[in-house]
Amino acid sequence: MAAFVDQSALAREPVPDASLALLAARGDRLAFAQLVERHYDYIFRIACKWSGKRSDAEDIAQDVCVKLASSIKSFDGRAAFTSWLYRVVLNAVRDMQRARSRRGRHIDRYAEVAPDAALPEQEDATAMTEIWAAVRRLPDQQRDAVLLVYAEEMSHAQAGEIMGCKEATVSWHIHEAKKTLRGLL
Amino acid sequence: MTAHDDKKLSQLSQLAMPEPTDAARRRALDAALLAFDAAQADAEKSSDAPQGRSWGARLRSIIPQRSWIMDTRITLGFGTAAVALLLLPLGYQLYSSTAITPVAIPATVELKQQPGQFSVGQDAGAMQQEVLAEAAPVVPTERTEAGTDGLVDDVGAASVLAQKSAAPSPRTSMAIEPFAAAQSAASGAVSDMEMAVGMPAPMAMAPTEPSGDSFSSFDESPVKVVQNEPVSTFSIDVDTAAYSYVRQALNDGWMPEPDAVRIEEMINYFNYAYPAPDSPQTPFKTTLQVYPTPWNAKTQLLQIGIKGYVPPLTEDKPSNLVFLLDTSGSMDEPDKLPLLKRAFALLVDQLSSNDTVSIVAYAGSAGVVLEPSKASDKAKILAALENLSAGGSTAGAEGIELAYRLAEENKVDGINRVILATDGDFNVGIEDPEDLKTFIKSKRDAGVSLSVLGFGQGNLGDDTMQALAQNGNGNASYIDSFREAQKVLVQEMGGTLETIAKDVKIQVEFNPAVVAEYRLVGYETRALNREDFNNDKVDAGDIGAGHTVTAIYEITPVGSGAALNDPLRYGSDTAATAVLPSDEIGFLKMRYKAPDGEMSKLIETPISKSLAVESLAAASDDSRWAAAVAAFAQKLKGSSYGEMTYAQIKALAQGARGADENGYRAEFMQLITSAAIISGQD
Repeated sequence: MAAFVDQSALAREPVPDASLALLAARGDRLAFAQLVERHYDYIFRIACKWSGKRSDAEDIAQDVCVKLASSIKSFDGRAAFTSWLYRVVLNAVRDMQRARSRRGRHIDRYAEVAPDAALPEQEDATAMTEIWAAVRRLPDQQRDAVLLVYAEEMSHAQAGEIMGCKEATVSWHIHEAKKTLRGLL
Repeated sequence: MTAHDDKKLSQLSQLAMPEPTDAARRRALDAALLAFDAAQADAEKSSDAPQGRSWGARLRSIIPQRSWIMDTRITLGFGTAAVALLLLPLGYQLYSSTAITPVAIPATVELKQQPGQFSVGQDAGAMQQEVLAEAAPVVPTERTEAGTDGLVDDVGAASVLAQKSAAPSPRTSMAIEPFAAAQSAASGAVSDMEMAVGMPAPMAMAPTEPSGDSFSSFDESPVKVVQNEPVSTFSIDVDTAAYSYVRQALNDGWMPEPDAVRIEEMINYFNYAYPAPDSPQTPFKTTLQVYPTPWNAKTQLLQIGIKGYVPPLTEDKPSNLVFLLDTSGSMDEPDKLPLLKRAFALLVDQLSSNDTVSIVAYAGSAGVVLEPSKASDKAKILAALENLSAGGSTAGAEGIELAYRLAEENKVDGINRVILATDGDFNVGIEDPEDLKTFIKSKRDAGVSLSVLGFGQGNLGDDTMQALAQNGNGNASYIDSFREAQKVLVQEMGGTLETIAKDVKIQVEFNPAVVAEYRLVGYETRALNREDFNNDKVDAGDIGAGHTVTAIYEITPVGSGAALNDPLRYGSDTAATAVLPSDEIGFLKMRYKAPDGEMSKLIETPISKSLAVESLAAASDDSRWAAAVAAFAQKLKGSSYGEMTYAQIKALAQGARGADENGYRAEFMQLITSAAIISGQD
């Protein structure tokens, strides 16, 4: 099958996300497939990072992919597709965590503080686990800010875009988080 | 501190993330594409409606997301893309439609090839068009084959994304998509729904988180001034679903939503030792008690207790029961289908040889599971129950009609009842809620009634449950445990199955010479207009065999100084009240119909002042218990009346436990403790 496709054409210059998204929103199946395919790993990684569990991350990622089928229409190209997507994934993670916590699985949420696949050869794996644990106990907004800025290495402005707040607000959350974390780190 | 902290925190970025597996990726992509096709098919049908459901607004989605995903996974795990093809669009639509919205099933997955449409992409030039147009035919052919001959194996399924190899390599380069483009759109507001909702508000620590269950919201009945509104009218309510729901919530460690707490259902969960009537000619008997209010020293509680006639055990009316069981994918949880099976097995055990049982499944493996069978043939019935499994691939379109048809075909001169068991999926074949109610009502008038048993949490359409049961002359119960199943289906089976009086309405007229103000505790969702009392067309609650029903009024005696409303300056009360007998608190009137009657009968009783006891201690155990439950329910609701601490409520309940043979009251004591801990109050 793939033989019929002009691979060199595809390889030459990938179609930008935004264009694919707009095509998909208009009902273009192929564009949608390409878009989801392209971003699956991205979605999975975010889900993994925020949910802390591979199995959950797979569920969330699939859920996000399915929802994109209808929510892609609401992407209007004003923010970068990846920023928009990041937020969609984050919300999906939250949905799941909330569904969990109301079923009395708080313990589960706090116990699984770091992705279970942290590499054992990492010398400071334990230290890192502790940081994750501390960060995850922060109030939501502070935690979001810290994870976006430090774990995802975003600028405060980028984090603000995803969190839906101003750059200065992100900086303030980071500041507060550090205050809370003092002594824990 | 900053430099050090920064360094520490920066380590967060170095955490190794596991790679996604190819299998998971492929599943996700398959699911996404099929959902996409379904969304497109939908879009064609209703081009004006907004597409899809926003994430924030799916409180009543039929199948909770997690189990749906798991189902998908199982199906796909077998490697038949053909099954997936049929299942997923349907699954997705079930998933994305509201409880009772129509489910449009695309007969075939239609493929969109519209190369002419590529006019959008600003940066996507002609080259892109060429690429997509070229690629378009590839996938569709494969999919169509998959759909028609169903012989596609795993390799075939993989070709859904035939583009995969050709597409820009996803695994490596997409790991972290640069946010470069973000800058160009820096402050752009985003219009989409999810975004408007934005980042979720910080999770509350003491938890009344949205549970995903839907409840009708209502305001607490206010204090009424007897002068202005001497008459209070309501319908009885024998449901107990709210109590089970509250219990489950507290046991899980969160406070129930205030709207989930219906005080009268909490009170009515418990059995009270009211004397029963002696003959079936008087279907129920009323017991009145007046005692001081535990949460307000200046007011009194008027407790109206009703006990339904208990038919002697020797009398064995034939019953014709049709179980209408939800087998949607979401039922595949330990507290749903497996519990349901055990619960119904219990019920079957109670039946005798002149009873018949049929089983109809819907929403999953649909259709008649068990043709009408004698209840004595227990092995056959239990085997049929055992064979039920959640999450089939067929739509249970006519589930409810089928169930009623079976019930009508086997009608007996006794109990004819459909028992619907679900976790909130009311996709029983009639989409419009109003149509469904009308249907149930018409069947009720034809002699087949309906009971609803709710299972599980997270998706429960409590409001729909209530509405359906009320229209079907039945009751709604929420089964959260085997113990509860025993209570509803064994100990109270008579009440669950056999209605002894229907449309039972209560009207109390208070004597303004004695009572200044009154407030009905609970029953907010059952309030009736004064004129509805004498109108036999107005539906009301029903009493089953042996049921007890309790209603409580908080009344403020004249001259107690506790009235919340000031007397009217220009009121002309004295003249009017002087002639009234002043030894009566009020006058109780009740109307009911015989189970098969159309004309209501009237029972009248004066409420004498002499009923009142001086102190709470002098009141009966049952009275104090009811008051304690009311106080607890009010507290959970955040009621504006009644100030008692959990400790006080517990002390009150403790002294009123009585024999408590089944341990329900002991369990209630536990709930008080749990609520105190969760809320962090005394």
